[in-house]
Amino acid sequence: MDKKKILEDGLLAQYLLGELSDDKEILIQKGLKEDADLRSIFEGLEEEFQNIAFENAIQPPDSVKIALSDALETNGETSKVRDITVLKKSDTFNYGRLAVAASLAAIFALSSFWFYNRWQASEDNLKALQEQTFALQDRLSNLEQTFEVTSQRYQSINNRNVIPLLLKGNRIFPESRAVAYVNHTTKSVLVNSQGLPPLEKDKTYQMWADVDGIMINMGLLPADTDLIPLKYIDKAESFNITIEPAGGNDHPTVENLISNVLL
Amino acid sequence: MAADPKDIESINLLLQGDKNALYLLYDKYSGALYGVILRMCREEDLAKDLLQESFIKIWKNIGSYDAEKGKFYTWAYRIAKNTTLNALRKSTPLIQSEDLSVYENKNADLEVTDYTALKGILSELEPHHQQAIDLVYFKGQTHREAHKAMNVPLGSFKSYIRQALMKLRERRSELTLLILLIEVFGNG
Repeated sequence: MDKKKILEDGLLAQYLLGELSDDKEILIQKGLKEDADLRSIFEGLEEEFQNIAFENAIQPPDSVKIALSDALETNGETSKVRDITVLKKSDTFNYGRLAVAASLAAIFALSSFWFYNRWQASEDNLKALQEQTFALQDRLSNLEQTFEVTSQRYQSINNRNVIPLLLKGNRIFPESRAVAYVNHTTKSVLVNSQGLPPLEKDKTYQMWADVDGIMINMGLLPADTDLIPLKYIDKAESFNITIEPAGGNDHPTVENLISNVLL
Repeated sequence: MAADPKDIESINLLLQGDKNALYLLYDKYSGALYGVILRMCREEDLAKDLLQESFIKIWKNIGSYDAEKGKFYTWAYRIAKNTTLNALRKSTPLIQSEDLSVYENKNADLEVTDYTALKGILSELEPHHQQAIDLVYFKGQTHREAHKAMNVPLGSFKSYIRQALMKLRERRSELTLLILLIEVFGNG
């Protein structure tokens, strides 16, 4: 992914906010690693978001820190310092007992070492598992968000009150297609503009509703987009799409009408 | 990445299991994270629990933080945001049972209340710039959700975010310059 696309699509902000899919995150991370300029822009972005957060900080009550401390003390491993007893040198020094004690100490040391290694290996495994769980949780969270958006879109067009209307292109753009989903009950309009050919940068599609011969602005229509919510206009007799200067127009340019459909 | 050296020191201690290092990071960042969590869930008792849960996750997962990839705060923010979104998702139905009218009601419900009012330089921006940052940063919405909430195309919404960040930077530079001038003339 090139730097221009990353910057133009605002992907750095989305990356910072944790909105991107895993594969896109990897591409951004690669870009940040390889491009010092991009990295510097990202650092500026991080700084700005952190400043916003600090300016909007709300001091939590002390009880949260106390509860956090209690939770960590209860679940954490609190190490206890073992008491060390110094043996007094006996007058009747018994070499046999010393040898037994030394053997026991050696066995104890070896078993401790073995247990320590096992413990370390388990710790590493646990840490790896925790990392995996964390990554999976993030992934699940992203999937749930995507699923929610898709479900909402599906619900909004697969509804018996919704009337789908095909806007075929006229002689200017005979190959263009757009579908408007109108719901008169909830007074909403969604438009799928995936079939509209891309325009030059200084132009945009704009949709209009015809009410008693007056064209009323319904909003801008970016090309190649899934579902765009537009303004619902009461008593509209037809929907019309025109090509207008970027940013939209107050009145439709009729000679640039590329499609219309009667309701 | 430009991570704060004091943070790096605390994180190294945290990796060795030093709880005091976590408390130092808590003292520094809990206000910023609590501000985000409280604005997202708008319920103080829940926000307190979620802040605690976020710091326990920081404690348990500090091994997965990579300073090369960004600031500690960015990483902690994502943990707090995901923890809050997961908690909110558990308490609300995943799928909307009605059509867009429900979605619109949901947006109306996102009106800010007293403690969620924006402060600092952000509050000086134009309303649509404030709202764009508020939705993605303090409400935890994705760009795709937020542009619908504002009823503008995704491209325009991204421009709002870009313009808002640019204006914030400009305003901050102006303020820094002003403070410098006051200090110079005040001492001189």
